[in-house]
Amino acid sequence: MMGLPLPARIRAVLTVMVLSLGLSACGINNVPTLEEQAKSAWSEVQNQYQRRADLIPNLVETVKGFARQEQEVLTQVTEARARASQIQVDASTVTDPEQFRRFQEAQNQLSGALGRLLATVERYPELKSNANFLALQSQLEGTENRIAVARRDYIEAVRAYNTELRTIPGRWIAAIVYPEAEPMQTFTATAGAERPPEVKF
Amino acid sequence: MVILAALLLLIPLAAIAQTFPPLTGRVVDAANLLQPQERAALEAKLKAYEDKTTDQVVVATVPSLEGYAIEDYANRLFRHWQLGDKEKDNGALLLVAPNERKVRIEVGYGLEGALTDALSKVIITTAIAPQFQRGNFAGGIDAGTDAVLSILTGDAEEWQRRAEVREDAETPFDPVAAFIIFLVLFFIISRMMSAGRPRRIGRGRHGPWIVTTGGWPGRSRGGWSGGGGFSGRGGSSGGGGASGSW
Repeated sequence: MMGLPLPARIRAVLTVMVLSLGLSACGINNVPTLEEQAKSAWSEVQNQYQRRADLIPNLVETVKGFARQEQEVLTQVTEARARASQIQVDASTVTDPEQFRRFQEAQNQLSGALGRLLATVERYPELKSNANFLALQSQLEGTENRIAVARRDYIEAVRAYNTELRTIPGRWIAAIVYPEAEPMQTFTATAGAERPPEVKF
Repeated sequence: MVILAALLLLIPLAAIAQTFPPLTGRVVDAANLLQPQERAALEAKLKAYEDKTTDQVVVATVPSLEGYAIEDYANRLFRHWQLGDKEKDNGALLLVAPNERKVRIEVGYGLEGALTDALSKVIITTAIAPQFQRGNFAGGIDAGTDAVLSILTGDAEEWQRRAEVREDAETPFDPVAAFIIFLVLFFIISRMMSAGRPRRIGRGRHGPWIVTTGGWPGRSRGGWSGGGGFSGRGGSSGGGGASGSW
């Protein structure tokens, strides 16, 4: 290297730089980049589910104050929340189909129980006009909406990541450079989960 | 359920399938609910507020939600327009769909702490919906905008936040840009060095470099606004806010 005339050295350096630039342009970094994006979308999903779980005790207490006889629905919500919180969620959840299914099921059950609780509330006009309840209800609605957005972002991020892993050249690059990269699980539409609560009188 | 299923199916196509009105100003009255002078007054109010705080508050009316839930539509529209700064996400959108009788306040990530879901709901139920029920769209939109702006400027917590927001954020160092600049400089210098020699460095022409930086799928960030017209500055929203009907 030292013996080379200056322009040749420059050319050597340039070649290295062009090569690395070319490699990044052909997507050698795509797999980890998309993986990180999918992971951060996943943590947002968890975040928003956690936010919902944090709202529930307060909601249950408020409803209790007005509708003590609705013990059954209230218990269901509390239990569903406990079950959803019990599920250990870590980095492997997104790549393990069984774990992911359990997480999704528990959250869906909680959604269902919450829906039933809010439907019950319709029978208590006093509760419905309670300022504290109204604030909680709008927070809950907002959180459900954030969950929907976070899930949408996650589905999209995982789609991009899984596509990269399954198509060429990402598939070859992953096999050689990132052998530990695994496709991630994604949400499926589940019956009853996102249906707005039915109101019956 | 049906909406969710449709939503899931539409995700890859969403960017193509959905059409949004262009962001022509701080008031995009695609449903024609406002008189020109009302529009101008609202626009001036929002501009004055943005000049003072850098928060981008935009009012939009649409003739149709194209079959989407207003929550979904508002979030996509917000992201399409990229309201608020890229770093601060300090945008808010008041969306009115008169034909579906739906209204929503969509709040960017950075304003969620000030303009909470509960407060947004209160604005909709007390300031906006009663006016809309009487058919007074201009009055409802104006009252709603005033309420949003007053909450955003009002309480102590908000001022705390503003104090943080005000500090001019340093432009983050972009390694890709720096690398390109480095490359270009290198190329120029090496040409200059070899200028005395007949042989050209780097045979042939140099095509344009295509550098892909990792974009955030589904959440389009970035976008540079040139001077002149009004545009979003790369902000995003995660579905904060509230909606209502009348």
